[in-house]
Amino acid sequence: MRRMNCNTITPEEFVYAARDFIELSNKYFDSWTIHQNDNEILNTYIKKEEFVSHRDENDKIFLYRAEYIIFYNLSYGVPSFSFNLWDCSGKLLTLEQVREISLMKISKEDFYSVVTQQEHPVMYRPYFIIHPCHTAKIVSAFRYTSRNLIITFLGLITPLIQLNLPLEYGL
Amino acid sequence: MTTIDDKQDIIQYVPFMSFVHPSFWHSLTDMKLNVDKLNENTKQIYGRYSYRDDIISVLEVDGTSFNKDPETEFHYINVTGTLMNKNTIEDFKNIDKAALINSVGEIMRANIQIKSWIDNPNSLLNFFVLSFADLKKFHYYYWFAFPAPSQPVVCLKEKCKNISTCFNEKQIKEISQSYQLLEISQKCFFAIVKDGDLYNVVTLSKILDKNRNKDEESNIDLTNTFFAFADHSNCENPGWPLRIFLAALFEYCPDLSKTIIKVIGIRCSKNGAINNSQIYNITVPETPQNVGWVGWERNERGNFGPKLANMSSSMDPVKLADTSSDLNIKLMKWRLVPDLDVTIMKETKCLLLGAGTLGCHVARDLLAWGFRHITFIDSGKVSYSNPTRQVLYTYQDCLNGGRRKSEAAADNLKLILPTVQSKGLVFHIPMPGHPIGESLKDETVTNIELLTEAIKDHDVIFLLLDTREARWLPTLISAHYGKITINAALGFDSYLVMRHGISSAQEETSINSTFVSGDQLGCYFCNDVTAPGNSLKDRTLDQQCTVSRAGVAAIAGALAVELLVGTLQHPLRVKAPAVYNLTDEELDPKLQGVLGPIPHSIRGFLHSHQTVLPTCTKFKQCIACSEVVIGKYKEEGLDFLMNVFNSGTYLEDVTGLSELQLTAEMTEILTLSDEDQDTTSI
Repeated sequence: MRRMNCNTITPEEFVYAARDFIELSNKYFDSWTIHQNDNEILNTYIKKEEFVSHRDENDKIFLYRAEYIIFYNLSYGVPSFSFNLWDCSGKLLTLEQVREISLMKISKEDFYSVVTQQEHPVMYRPYFIIHPCHTAKIVSAFRYTSRNLIITFLGLITPLIQLNLPLEYGL
Repeated sequence: MTTIDDKQDIIQYVPFMSFVHPSFWHSLTDMKLNVDKLNENTKQIYGRYSYRDDIISVLEVDGTSFNKDPETEFHYINVTGTLMNKNTIEDFKNIDKAALINSVGEIMRANIQIKSWIDNPNSLLNFFVLSFADLKKFHYYYWFAFPAPSQPVVCLKEKCKNISTCFNEKQIKEISQSYQLLEISQKCFFAIVKDGDLYNVVTLSKILDKNRNKDEESNIDLTNTFFAFADHSNCENPGWPLRIFLAALFEYCPDLSKTIIKVIGIRCSKNGAINNSQIYNITVPETPQNVGWVGWERNERGNFGPKLANMSSSMDPVKLADTSSDLNIKLMKWRLVPDLDVTIMKETKCLLLGAGTLGCHVARDLLAWGFRHITFIDSGKVSYSNPTRQVLYTYQDCLNGGRRKSEAAADNLKLILPTVQSKGLVFHIPMPGHPIGESLKDETVTNIELLTEAIKDHDVIFLLLDTREARWLPTLISAHYGKITINAALGFDSYLVMRHGISSAQEETSINSTFVSGDQLGCYFCNDVTAPGNSLKDRTLDQQCTVSRAGVAAIAGALAVELLVGTLQHPLRVKAPAVYNLTDEELDPKLQGVLGPIPHSIRGFLHSHQTVLPTCTKFKQCIACSEVVIGKYKEEGLDFLMNVFNSGTYLEDVTGLSELQLTAEMTEILTLSDEDQDTTSI
């Protein structure tokens, strides 16, 4: 019996997918960690930090640190992807700078319609967030066919943010 | 055999690059504000680096660096460091950097000499941070140093080789496992000793004796011993920690300089395999002397100089509020209206005449649209009846006789957005037909000057006053100076929002035109005379004691701001045309701005929830904006104005209105006498 609302998931489904995802992450030595809050299920999230390097048009290499957080967005009922990037002095990158180092060549309008900056509902600090509208579409499309919704979700987002998703996840 | 060029073989160590996480600055600030205050103690902190082969050579510090005990992470080595935070930028700049690194170095040398590092190898490595924190601007100046003695000069006998050239797969795996089992404090520097077919990972204390006399034989079996260290380098050159390791080894046993030492730089991949580790064969051509210390980090430009972390955009709450407020408008532009000019709102200066219900709503909506220069003019004080309807005031503003409205409004706007440039002026606007006595003459003259200067200083004038008469003088001055004037007036359940034309030498609009050029549009007073005979209900518009339905001011205030923004988004601005009949489907693009066509006026009736958009041209005999009146103002200035204030009929005489009205009355009388049975229907 199909559920009425196919484009949302419950917080429990999110936590389940997250835990499953972490197991895979540990298996493939990808460094995602889960931060569980048993008192407040909505505050459970998974996080990864890594170095990202970017070569500009003059062939100079810049090193940045990226932090990715996947959390459950209550108002939209879907997983949400948020991130921040900072340089070696600790300074946060602006949205425009993130767009410039993104792997895909995207126009300003398209990029800004997908990525926005706001106060993070779980971390209470400014973060860049992929707008949840798009996630709902992904969830409804892959809900029953995806092995793990978070992997599917990441696979579609990674080119935007230069996040490395090891091929092993596809297995 | 080719001669070996000595210079080429000298080891080029891969230096550390410092990498500061934002949480480091948060913790430093916290410590400074709450713990240290002005004390300039040096503080012990922790940093860490990784020997993973896919992570670049960085030494990282973050918020946990200030913890008593460091956090541990897979494939990372913790390094003890010292933070010296200066209280002034002068102290930061003037401190002798060479002397500083030498003094740090001497402490390290002393530790090497007492050989405590043999039991605790991690203590060999040290880093130093000199800093200055400007906590008002959230600017952090910092300079890392990774001290190492400039001697001994060390050479590589041959290029580095991969570990697999000397060890087989099984041995490598065993070494890797044993290494992981080492205690944390032993992981930075250790040794690998051959024992028959096996290779054992051992701590330094197993092969070095800290109680040994310098002159004694060292007892190290160099053919079967590899020294090893956690290597952060990813290229053919070894990482920086090797430098201090060799210095310590040669201090321990100077005889080692006559031999070749084998060193392994351990590098692991993310699953822990150390197959990318490198073997270095090292010789020391000369006996090391006691010389100075090096290790200050180069900055982004490659010079020996400090780095700056400008954290204001993420740590300064005022800046955060400012950029976040701008974000809404930018999103509008990026997502919906790409041609929206967002900078013009920021730069436009708005003068709000009246800080009552209309003034407060207009101010809030201007703020939402990204306007940042707002000045209020109001002579009144906040009264107890105000806060529920005048959305910038609170109960507190009413106490003790009440704050002056324009000042309270300006201050409260800053409570909403600290970076807004808001100001409040307090004075009364003189009105036609309200005679000025001698005692008030000087004050009136001053007020006129204040008003004139204020109008000249701003780009947009909002007329949000509570009487018709008060709007006369600002209408005149504004038209004269060509400013955008937005007028809003309230009735009980109706409102009027409109834009005025300006003084212009242009010809009148032709009768056949479908639009009126912005500068030719009528003003509030033009409408008053040319509007059809108003019913009793409509006459209650703009009377001083007007009481309105609560929503009327909010609607009118919002529309006033939308009308302004629409005007500003048209390339002709104040001259933006107003179309006569806005129900036309195809509208010439020249007749609309980016947000759509801009009407002349909007009249709304809450009773029926209807809105109409009347358009009209200037009235040649308008008492406020006609060329006759403006001309008199230009010629006679203050005298003209005083005449207007002192007489109820002067304006009508000047414009010839008195005559016009007389003619109209005459016509009425004539009409009635001819057809006394007719009733004119309205």
